[in-house]
Amino acid sequence: MSTATILIVEDDDWLAEQHSRVLTKAGYKIAVALHALVAIQVIDDINPDAIVLDVLLTGSTAFALLHELQSYGDTGDIPIILCTNLASELSVDDLELYGVKKILDKTTMVPDDLVVALRSVLS
Amino acid sequence: MSATRGEHERLFNGPLTDGLPSLVAAAHELKSPLALVRQLSLMLEGGDVSANEQKRMLRQISLTSERALRLTSDLTRSVRMSDAMFTLEPINPQQLCEDIVHELTPLFLAHSRDVKLIPHKHPLLLVANRDLLRRIIMNFSDNALNYAEGGTSVEIRIGMLKSGNIIRLGVRDYGPALSGDILDSLRGKLARASTPIHARPQSSGLGLYIASQFADVMNGKIGVTRHRDGATFYVDLQASRQLNLL
Repeated sequence: MSTATILIVEDDDWLAEQHSRVLTKAGYKIAVALHALVAIQVIDDINPDAIVLDVLLTGSTAFALLHELQSYGDTGDIPIILCTNLASELSVDDLELYGVKKILDKTTMVPDDLVVALRSVLS
Repeated sequence: MSATRGEHERLFNGPLTDGLPSLVAAAHELKSPLALVRQLSLMLEGGDVSANEQKRMLRQISLTSERALRLTSDLTRSVRMSDAMFTLEPINPQQLCEDIVHELTPLFLAHSRDVKLIPHKHPLLLVANRDLLRRIIMNFSDNALNYAEGGTSVEIRIGMLKSGNIIRLGVRDYGPALSGDILDSLRGKLARASTPIHARPQSSGLGLYIASQFADVMNGKIGVTRHRDGATFYVDLQASRQLNLL
């Protein structure tokens, strides 16, 4: 069981709840932000070990948040897992400079893929 | 009274029958609810959930499916617009909106939000097609549900413009404000409606595009007003003169 703290940034509240359900069962501590602006505040507050990030967010895209995180030394190293419907249009190679370690496709992933991905990036 | 093809339809030469862009938008809009339903179903198949969780997840599956089905139904309706005649009739907007509030309340409560009607102080009648107007308001409400902050109420407001000839039905949400750039872009698109309208940053705008199409058939128009803490999407329609005759 891990005790790492994971921030889920997802504007669909029920999908955020589902991710939380899966990760809580796997032993992670979870925080949820429904918007990028809230996410920045939560990151400051809890300093998460990893972030699970949707791409198309209400109010701004994930890329604005990724830019913001890279602007600061203490947040630039937080590993990011993108969890998105746009996975087929993105590549880790293009986004690794922004801390993106994995990209999960919401349309094909199974719930445990999130746990496997987190174990991988936190190991 | 009836209407067939409106200005909108002539301008776009048949939206949603024009091929790939509309199909891509529809696919995008349907991905999210289907992905959620799939995740919840897989979790339930796994079996490691409590009875309470199970009940909640099944409810979420039902409500998410209904929302997705509403979109597919609107799409079907939209594609068939050019073939159909739409009867326009005097409609009591308060009664229609009360029905919508009643229908949507379980969905909103399940999302820890509320939906309520803010009626006009005097009875009003407008000229519209009941089914299309209902779809527009449902569409705006779905959009508002996505955008409203948890714990807030979405308000369906009925009002009359100063001229007295136009009745406005608006759906007001309380969430993060649109940025100036997005608002300018949205206003331009609402005015021209020559490309799919991006209702919200995360949306393909397909739902709003369909709503503008439906409004056009009824000689109405849709628009948006930005507030500090949210937005109102509205449809303006002709007031009926029947009340004056009474």
